[in-house]
Amino acid sequence: MKHLLFIAVLGVGTFPASAVDYLRDIKPVLKARCYACHGALKQKAGLRVDSAANLRKGAKGEDVLAVGKPGESELLARLTAADADERMPPEGAPLKPAEIAAIREWIAAGAPVPANETAEADPRAHWAFQVPQPVKLPGDAGNVIDVLLEDARSGRGLKAQPIAERTIRLRRLYLDLIGLPPTRAQLADTRPWEVIVDELLKSPHHGERWGRHWMDIWRYTDWYGLGAQLRNSQKHIWHWRDWIVESLNADKGYDRMIQEMLAADELAPTDPNALRATGFLARNYYLFNRTTWLDATIEHTGKAFVGLTLNCAKCHDHKYDPLTHEDYYRFRAIFEPHQVRLDPMPGVTDFEKDGLPRVFDNHLDIKTHLHLRGDPKTPDTNRALEPGVPAVLASFAPPIKPVPLPVYAYAPAARDYVRNDHLAAAKAAVVAAQKELDEARKLAANAPKEKPKPKPKPTAPKPAPPFAVHDDFAKRNDQLWEVIGNGWKFEKGAAQQTTATRDAERLALRQKLPRDFELTCRYTHTGGSIYRSVTFRFDVSADRKYANYVYTSAHSPGPKLHVAYTRGGTSTYPPDGLVAQPIEIGKPYTLRLAVRDRLVNVWLNSKFQIAYQLPDRQTGGRLELSGFDATVAFDDIQIKSLPAAMKLAEAKNAVPEVKPTSSVEISEAKLAAAAAKVASLEAMFAAENARGDTVAFQKATQAAARAEALALKAAGEYELKAFAKDGKKVNAARTKIANGYKKLTEADQGKGSFTPLRAAKKALETPAHNEGQYPTVYPATSTGRRTALAQWITSPKNPLTARVAVNHVWVRHFGEPLVETVDDFGLRAKPPAQQLLLDHLAADFMANGWSFRRLHRLIVTSRTYQRRTTTAGADAKTLAADPNNHSYWRMNTRRMEAQVVRDSLLHLAGVLDPQLGGPSLNPGDAVRRRSLYFKHSRDQQDKLLKMFNDADHLQCYRRTESIVPQQALALSNSKLAIEMAGRIEERERGGEGEAAFVDRVFLLLLGRKPDAEEKGACLATLKELESVAKKAGKGNVAQRARRGLVHALLNHNDFVSVR
Amino acid sequence: MMDLNRRLFLGRAGLGFGSLALGSMLRGGESGVNGLVHFAPKAKSVIWLFMRGGVSHMESFDPKPMLNQLAGKSIGETRFKYVQDRDRLKKVRVVVVNDANGQQRNKLYPLQVGYKKYGQSGIEVSDWFPHIGGCIDDIAVIRSMWTTDDNHGAQVQFHSGRHMLDPRVPTIGAWVNWGLGTLNENLPQFIGMGPRYFDRSDGHYLGPAYDEVRLKIDPRNPLDYAKPEGDLTAEEQRLGFGLVNRLNRLSQGRYPNDARLEARIKSYELAYRMQTSVPGVVNFDAETEATKKLYGFDQNQTRSFGQQLLAARRFVERGVRFIQIMHGAGAAGAWDQHSNLKAKHSELAMQVDRPVAGLLKDLKSRGLLDETLVVFATEFGRTPGSQGANGRDHHPYGFSVWMAGGGIRGGVTHGTTDEIGFHTEEHPHYVTDVHATLLHQLGLEPERMEVPAHKRLEMDFGHVIKDILV
Repeated sequence: MKHLLFIAVLGVGTFPASAVDYLRDIKPVLKARCYACHGALKQKAGLRVDSAANLRKGAKGEDVLAVGKPGESELLARLTAADADERMPPEGAPLKPAEIAAIREWIAAGAPVPANETAEADPRAHWAFQVPQPVKLPGDAGNVIDVLLEDARSGRGLKAQPIAERTIRLRRLYLDLIGLPPTRAQLADTRPWEVIVDELLKSPHHGERWGRHWMDIWRYTDWYGLGAQLRNSQKHIWHWRDWIVESLNADKGYDRMIQEMLAADELAPTDPNALRATGFLARNYYLFNRTTWLDATIEHTGKAFVGLTLNCAKCHDHKYDPLTHEDYYRFRAIFEPHQVRLDPMPGVTDFEKDGLPRVFDNHLDIKTHLHLRGDPKTPDTNRALEPGVPAVLASFAPPIKPVPLPVYAYAPAARDYVRNDHLAAAKAAVVAAQKELDEARKLAANAPKEKPKPKPKPTAPKPAPPFAVHDDFAKRNDQLWEVIGNGWKFEKGAAQQTTATRDAERLALRQKLPRDFELTCRYTHTGGSIYRSVTFRFDVSADRKYANYVYTSAHSPGPKLHVAYTRGGTSTYPPDGLVAQPIEIGKPYTLRLAVRDRLVNVWLNSKFQIAYQLPDRQTGGRLELSGFDATVAFDDIQIKSLPAAMKLAEAKNAVPEVKPTSSVEISEAKLAAAAAKVASLEAMFAAENARGDTVAFQKATQAAARAEALALKAAGEYELKAFAKDGKKVNAARTKIANGYKKLTEADQGKGSFTPLRAAKKALETPAHNEGQYPTVYPATSTGRRTALAQWITSPKNPLTARVAVNHVWVRHFGEPLVETVDDFGLRAKPPAQQLLLDHLAADFMANGWSFRRLHRLIVTSRTYQRRTTTAGADAKTLAADPNNHSYWRMNTRRMEAQVVRDSLLHLAGVLDPQLGGPSLNPGDAVRRRSLYFKHSRDQQDKLLKMFNDADHLQCYRRTESIVPQQALALSNSKLAIEMAGRIEERERGGEGEAAFVDRVFLLLLGRKPDAEEKGACLATLKELESVAKKAGKGNVAQRARRGLVHALLNHNDFVSVR
Repeated sequence: MMDLNRRLFLGRAGLGFGSLALGSMLRGGESGVNGLVHFAPKAKSVIWLFMRGGVSHMESFDPKPMLNQLAGKSIGETRFKYVQDRDRLKKVRVVVVNDANGQQRNKLYPLQVGYKKYGQSGIEVSDWFPHIGGCIDDIAVIRSMWTTDDNHGAQVQFHSGRHMLDPRVPTIGAWVNWGLGTLNENLPQFIGMGPRYFDRSDGHYLGPAYDEVRLKIDPRNPLDYAKPEGDLTAEEQRLGFGLVNRLNRLSQGRYPNDARLEARIKSYELAYRMQTSVPGVVNFDAETEATKKLYGFDQNQTRSFGQQLLAARRFVERGVRFIQIMHGAGAAGAWDQHSNLKAKHSELAMQVDRPVAGLLKDLKSRGLLDETLVVFATEFGRTPGSQGANGRDHHPYGFSVWMAGGGIRGGVTHGTTDEIGFHTEEHPHYVTDVHATLLHQLGLEPERMEVPAHKRLEMDFGHVIKDILV
């Protein structure tokens, strides 16, 4: 009512005293709904609405406000337009009536401008977009972290906690730097702190520990898909993991690491060690959708390295950051040309066994278009976008320069080791075939000399005794049939099966059938459900797991006649044994069946239906008549021997059998094929070497084509002999031979060509492709786009990269980051409480070769890092003023990451296998390697690790941390925990008493000695454990009780905690 | 409490497994049953039955006799030609381009089963589901569901509301888990049984605490790590847990106000209790033969699903909030009848029909149906046209689900598809409308279920299907 009243009042043109407060009622609405397009970031139509003054300025000189006259104000007209195309804002619901009323009232009141109102700041002024500056400190000021934080605290009168006790600190240090707790000797180490720090930073386990952190951030995942189909990431992506670990252990600069991950193929095209780094990009491979693939690449390149949420600009300009829709697709253009392939590893020619996943620019001229509204179905094909970095930070972007590549990079088949490996593999096959042949010959020579058997005559088995059975089913004949089931009725001149079962009820002929027979039966499908089949089984074995059969089915839809068979209890319904037939219920049919050995001919109502060859025959089984989901009436049946003279139709599925060959002959053919393969490879390499000399190349090409043809023919001839019994393979072998001849003719006519060696394996761009359609030689230049990107990211002028990295390192030492949104340093990230510190560390990091080792050292040698975690004894004022520890007056407690939990158990038990690197391992209890070597993907994750919040393979800029009973069950009941408790007890066994044992394991597992009460509790439980073990009749009760104590301490909160 | 941050607990009472103790502890000892309930709930628990692979709506709960009339005709030559207008098909987003499945199937395929009217409501149910038909007066059938994935990623979508090409977000079970406290301190509040789709996580950004806890119907080993995998007697274990508890409590003096330590103490207490309570729930010795028979224990085909449903009832009795049971194994799900629809659908229907009806009757006779919401769903329907000789393809444009109990009106149908079962017509519902309805009955407002840094979209929240509420 109030608003209506105002409208009425406005009508007479007086200004009422306004109850509306612009800052309270209007500015927040404009900020939420309008600033994105009409603020500091963007001024669509030249309009800014981020201050009352700006509103009064209007759009490009045109007023949007008619002061005092809301009815004439363009602003209100647009906010309230009925036409959705006219109305503002263009996205989301219109403003609420109360919001509009407030604006109306404010305009009516003269649109008063509040004093000192500030407009939105220029987004380019955002703190994280300024190059970080170091703090200048006097030389003897001490550790810069301590100085800056002490400074921050003393200003607020906050007091820090003291340094923690040494064993607790050592445990913290070991877990942080190498991910393994200290041994007893290491806990007793009295060397200076810095010496231990340096030793740990140089330990190969440091790379494993921090490698796993970066694997989280860079989204490491082993390949996954469906069955054998690769859909995500790449096989052998562990090479990238090893690169990460090795790079950290070598203290490679972070700038160089980024450059290699994004562009090693351009920067170090002949260095396979560096190429491993591009696993960072290869990991994003996605078989089904290139846009999904590139979206992931863009999003996570942005988040991981520069803390920009580029992904928010995929469908429209970023809502908060100065990142435009076009920026997104220009960024995409950087990656557009690249594809993924496996390069051959020395000594391995089988890509299932090994290969190096790497990227390369494949489509140099491919265009990138902006997707309207982010929809790949609506690309803006009017213009192609040039590759580039976000415009707001592009001032220091280097130019893009194409990179010429060496032959090694673009023609992997030209590499010496590749040719040698393929030749060696081919020659090894020759040696193996020769050995096989020698053995076959020896066997043949040693075989007992038999008189050459007269070859069995190819035809005519022994004439079987004549066989004839006839039953018109006038009455039940138990001599002739075994009647199985209760549903049989012998009525109306028929054997009637009146219950529809699945073969349970049947008539089984008591007499044995001859091998070759003829059966004629008149019958009617009388009803049933679903399949409604009548089945004639023969050769039915006693266990019914073997049978051959013919059935007619009144199944709707798809009635049919079908020859089928059961082997080992599994039924096969071969498609080439099926004839569609409109079998109907209630209609009599006469089925005639003639069987000669494996050949079956079937007629229905005297009309020939099908000739089918069974895969084999085991005669001597029974004949059975039954219904399958059907009721049936059998009227008449005749079975007799098949006359030898009777001609049957040949089966289409029959494959003429190849004459059986001796193993010597097979081995000879194999050897010949292997030798031909060697010759073919050698000729092919000779032809490759002749490239460039037209005449020589033509000659060598024909020689190579000829050798290839001979190899093909030889392979076919071998397969024909080796797989003589397999019809499909025999046919394939024959095709090979035919193709071999064809190629041979072409070569002889000088028109031959050879197939170049496919030495690398490109990942399919879409499932519709096959590998054979890709060239074997790749482009000889690369676009240089990714190199330029990497240079921009690692430029000392880039304000983001070092800050983001330092923040990631910081959160992994302190449990809390300096900037809360570790993957978003955009405008929503407020200046951090400790910005001076972050900026100093970032500047220092860049100035010192982007060395992580230096950064770690600076952090862990600070007093800040070494403080107690407890709040006990804390200054009350400090506790009240900074309960969340923003000023780091104490250390934060953290929980071990999943990998550290498992690795610590193994390490303390002395069974951790310290081997570095290598292929990923299947998760499981038996593995003794460190957890980072487990396969880690959507489909494979270790169960124990999962319980402790293992990394999400899709995105894990920070681990989550939950405390749930499953974790308690895992540490209490898992085989691993129980077994390791036993092993720790064994290792810690000593001659001394229980009290000393308690002290020792407490210190080892929790990093401190127990106090009196804790010790008392442990000793009491030890006693009880001994007595229950004794009662249960267990042996070694003292040791068993100690194991129980160790097991309990492994479940102590402070075992999984980093105190 | 100072040690806590948002990442650790997301500031919520709900904490997976046995959240009551933890939740109330974090709220300062207040003992509330409902973590977050926004208004008075109608239902306390949900039994979520999901048929994997895609149940044919036309051969289950949405009869289309028109298909018999037009059998064999191409859609294009009938008056229903319009259903395939490009505009009408465009809401589907394809994941696997050029897949053999998920295509338009043009030749109309007759119904492979008959229908009968059931109950006072006279709602028609296909002959493959006669027992469920017998319960129809307790059921609200929604015949107008639609989704946007034409492949089995739609299973994920039905649970999360998001398409495969979108990021993974928490599923409905995880949200219920997150939103409600448990009614039983000894049991997990979100339980899963049966074959699951490929995405094994429910919690996603809510964290693994909100994942389903998978159980097997095996009283000896119903849950991962439920009993020692080594030589450790029950007495020894009890002493071990006792010592852990004592030592952790002692260290509270050393580390005062350490919320993590508090939470860990509680989690060990819960773990110990759970070890003993879970096996008891999946032990059916105390159930009568009549009850077991009701769930189909007497038949091979129905026993396995029946056991899971009986366990579900026993969990409901003990206050478990969400029991998620999927049916139909295999990568795509067993109900995926691209061929042999009649034979396979009839067989699968037989496996679930009696147990599901048994569950409804059992819940009703025990007075539990009023407070237990049963959902029977699938990821999409199947095409009105035939695929190959005797199958139907995936059909995201229109399909059926049903709900019963927990304040849902029985004996009603809601929404329609067109006469050939192609598109939704009256009251179309996206999958999250089922979520919204379910949350509403549990007393939760979808719009208030959001965690910082994870914006939810309008479509995630869905709309309550008010017409089917009592």
